[in-house]
Amino acid sequence: MKTKVLLFRAGTILILIAIAAVMLVIGRGHTVYFENSEATFDGQTFKGPYKVTVYVDGEQVAKLYDGERGMATCIGQTFKMEMKIMNEKGGDEQFVAVTMPLPRDMDGILINLPTLLAGQPEAAYLSEFIIAEPEPETETTAADEFGLTTEF
Amino acid sequence: MKNTITKTNQNLTFAQKALKFLQNNSVPLMFVLICIVCIPISGFSASYLLNEVVTRMGRNIFLILCLLIPIIAGMGLNFGMTLGAMAGEIALILVADWQVWGIPGVVLAMILSIPFSLLLGAFCGKILNMSKGREMITSYIISYFINGIYQLVVLYMMGKVIPIKHTSLKLPRGYGIRNTTSLLNMRQCLDNLIDVQIGGVKIPVLTFIIIALLCAFIVWFRKTKLGQDMRAVGQDMQVARDAGINVEKTRIISIVMSTVLAGFGMVIYLQNMGNISTYSSHSQIGMFCIAALLVGGASVDRASIGNVFLGVILFHTMFIVAPSAGAHITGDSMIGEYFRVFVSYGVITLALVMYETKKRKMKSSVGEQLQREQEEGDGKNEN
Amino acid sequence: MQEKFHDVLSSFGLPRLIITGFLILLFIMAPFVGADFPTQLTNTINRFSWNAVLVLAMVPMIHSGCGLNFGLPLGIISGLLGATLSIEFGFTGPMSFVMACLIATPFALLFGSGYGWLLNKIKGGEMMIATYVGFSSVSLMCMMWLLLPYKSPTMVWGFAGKGLRTTISLEGFYDKALSDLLQINIGTLSIPTGALLFFAVLAFLMWAFLHTKTGTAMTAVGSNPTFAKAAGVNVDKMRLLSVVLSTWLAAIGILVYEQGFGFVQLYMAPFNMALPAVSAILIGGASVNKASIANVIIGTFLFQGIVTMTPTVMNSMIHTDMSEVIRIVVSNGMILYALTRKTEGSK
Repeated sequence: MKTKVLLFRAGTILILIAIAAVMLVIGRGHTVYFENSEATFDGQTFKGPYKVTVYVDGEQVAKLYDGERGMATCIGQTFKMEMKIMNEKGGDEQFVAVTMPLPRDMDGILINLPTLLAGQPEAAYLSEFIIAEPEPETETTAADEFGLTTEF
Repeated sequence: MKNTITKTNQNLTFAQKALKFLQNNSVPLMFVLICIVCIPISGFSASYLLNEVVTRMGRNIFLILCLLIPIIAGMGLNFGMTLGAMAGEIALILVADWQVWGIPGVVLAMILSIPFSLLLGAFCGKILNMSKGREMITSYIISYFINGIYQLVVLYMMGKVIPIKHTSLKLPRGYGIRNTTSLLNMRQCLDNLIDVQIGGVKIPVLTFIIIALLCAFIVWFRKTKLGQDMRAVGQDMQVARDAGINVEKTRIISIVMSTVLAGFGMVIYLQNMGNISTYSSHSQIGMFCIAALLVGGASVDRASIGNVFLGVILFHTMFIVAPSAGAHITGDSMIGEYFRVFVSYGVITLALVMYETKKRKMKSSVGEQLQREQEEGDGKNEN
Repeated sequence: MQEKFHDVLSSFGLPRLIITGFLILLFIMAPFVGADFPTQLTNTINRFSWNAVLVLAMVPMIHSGCGLNFGLPLGIISGLLGATLSIEFGFTGPMSFVMACLIATPFALLFGSGYGWLLNKIKGGEMMIATYVGFSSVSLMCMMWLLLPYKSPTMVWGFAGKGLRTTISLEGFYDKALSDLLQINIGTLSIPTGALLFFAVLAFLMWAFLHTKTGTAMTAVGSNPTFAKAAGVNVDKMRLLSVVLSTWLAAIGILVYEQGFGFVQLYMAPFNMALPAVSAILIGGASVNKASIANVIIGTFLFQGIVTMTPTVMNSMIHTDMSEVIRIVVSNGMILYALTRKTEGSK
């Protein structure tokens, strides 16, 4: 009886830890930035298309002309996006769907679209994007639901 | 002749019944009255009010339900639920630093809050066992005491001893958490996962499903062996001990359960709010949850799930309309704000007074009965 | 001998020992970290003189068995009414202090009687209800401070012309009315003799009262109500008297505090004023049902010593001001300790 209870408890704890571990992986949030600008890798230079429209989850998140940057958020380690690419102004648009793994330990990830579209390896298009020291925000106290301005 | 007597009797009993009903439900009725008066004055539209009330139901009910278990065990209103709230906040701060977002973040925070809640709940239960008969004031002081420890951990140790990676969470001095912790990336993720719009009112279905599960759990729990033990302990500790129940342990379990649930409740509450007021979110939550429960017609020794729902609706309606109504009447919005705080405290005071007077009355009536029986016995002996 | 020592130790209590040790350590550390000892002592004595009467207010209710007076804010409100009305009626200088005390008295008697009557109805649950009576009255008064027709331009908000300010300066009124009386200055050390004397007189009166017939009857009610009843003491009346006394002392106490501090603080300020006073008397050696004047003096000195010393010493030692946290943990830890003691005669 005693051992049964003990086993049951140990089992519960293990299950909880397992769930927590899974959550830690699948819930890891990233901010993905993409830029449509010329980049050099291995001595090669990649020039971006005229316009790229980025869709995540069927929603348009950015429309990037040359040299522009956009962002999206992503939960988990796999990032899926669809791009509508227009190489020349007024030219035909072609549709590209990309799925890529994201490194777990990066908060902000910068993806260079021209390099990615050229089919280069990860090291070429992906780099960590560290947001500069957040602007010294004025300490605002968020009002809670009770909306009390005085401290009780 | 006989007929009229029975008739008056019946009338009397009906009047008595009505009086008794009024007495037993004076607090909820008073609140209904306040709401009826204030709603038209506040000038809010029905759909706005309904929306607000439904949102607040989703975010508060889970927290209030955690108060029920210590009441079963006869330990009164658990002012120590604040401890669970603090555990939930610490878990959320860590999860925010680890950048776990969305539903997984909520689940992780709940799991992570468990060890903290267990620890704090066990501590609270132990202390309450050492101060039987004055559990409420003790649990109240415990919440202040642990708040000191919480500040020590969050304001001084986080960033120094406990690693916090993101500077956006920390105070400019490099350690300690900011006054506000943003939960932007898990904001309302639970509420929005399955939501239904009915006539412009957004209903967070998933949150309500979770609440329903907890209600079912409480109903089931009352029927288990442990639940029955708790009720026995709540009715009479001595009798329960004679029946072979480990009173101390049962009481600790009830507090631990309440604390763990409060931790979950706080996570649900804060994911809806979308940010944590790091140093004040928990300090008010205990008072407002207890006030809401009492408004629903609960007392210190008796509370049901129905009380929780009714209480949330009435209390929060008052809370929404009071400032605006106050501003319309007196021209000063602060009046309404102070008014609702006064009402919250007043309700708790009233409920405590009613409970204590009832307890005394019962005690004295039992005493009188004993005395009468004794006198009768004496009389027989003399004969 | 050793057993006796052990007895003394256990009656003194471990937390109290730790707190005393901590304070002594602070005093020893102070010179090393560059804090000026006489200044520190002056600060401690000053703060002692502000707070001692509030702590003294705990004594009557503990004696009559009503427990720790968490309802102190009710008395404080009477004092605040006295203070604001005295200024409103145009009294200035030290006279305004005397008038504030006089005006506060009827309020204290009135509120105290109501409060005492309530506590008599709910014997056994005093402390919790006292806490909430305090809170309710403070939040009720928050509305009143806005609504009552105060007119004095020194007190109301300038732009609205109505509603009292949150803090009112006492300059020109009774700022330092007692502290400056007979003040002794030796180098950087200064002693607010007047304020200390005022406390001494009140403490002596309290001591004397506790030794009168009524006083002993009150103590009897606290230590053994059944016995007291059998001896013909009117239990309810004694308890009522103790509550009224406590409330009145709280009213005077807040006025003494204000004259030292220099400001009247309204609205939420009285909200958490009970806890420091409660923990001070407990640190001084009182328990939930036992307290003496010595407990008041020792307790206030220790508590205020910690409050004044920790910021300076801590700041220079670890460059972090943790005094607030230490104050919270120490004071509430002490109350918690007292509540968990099994005290004879308590319910």
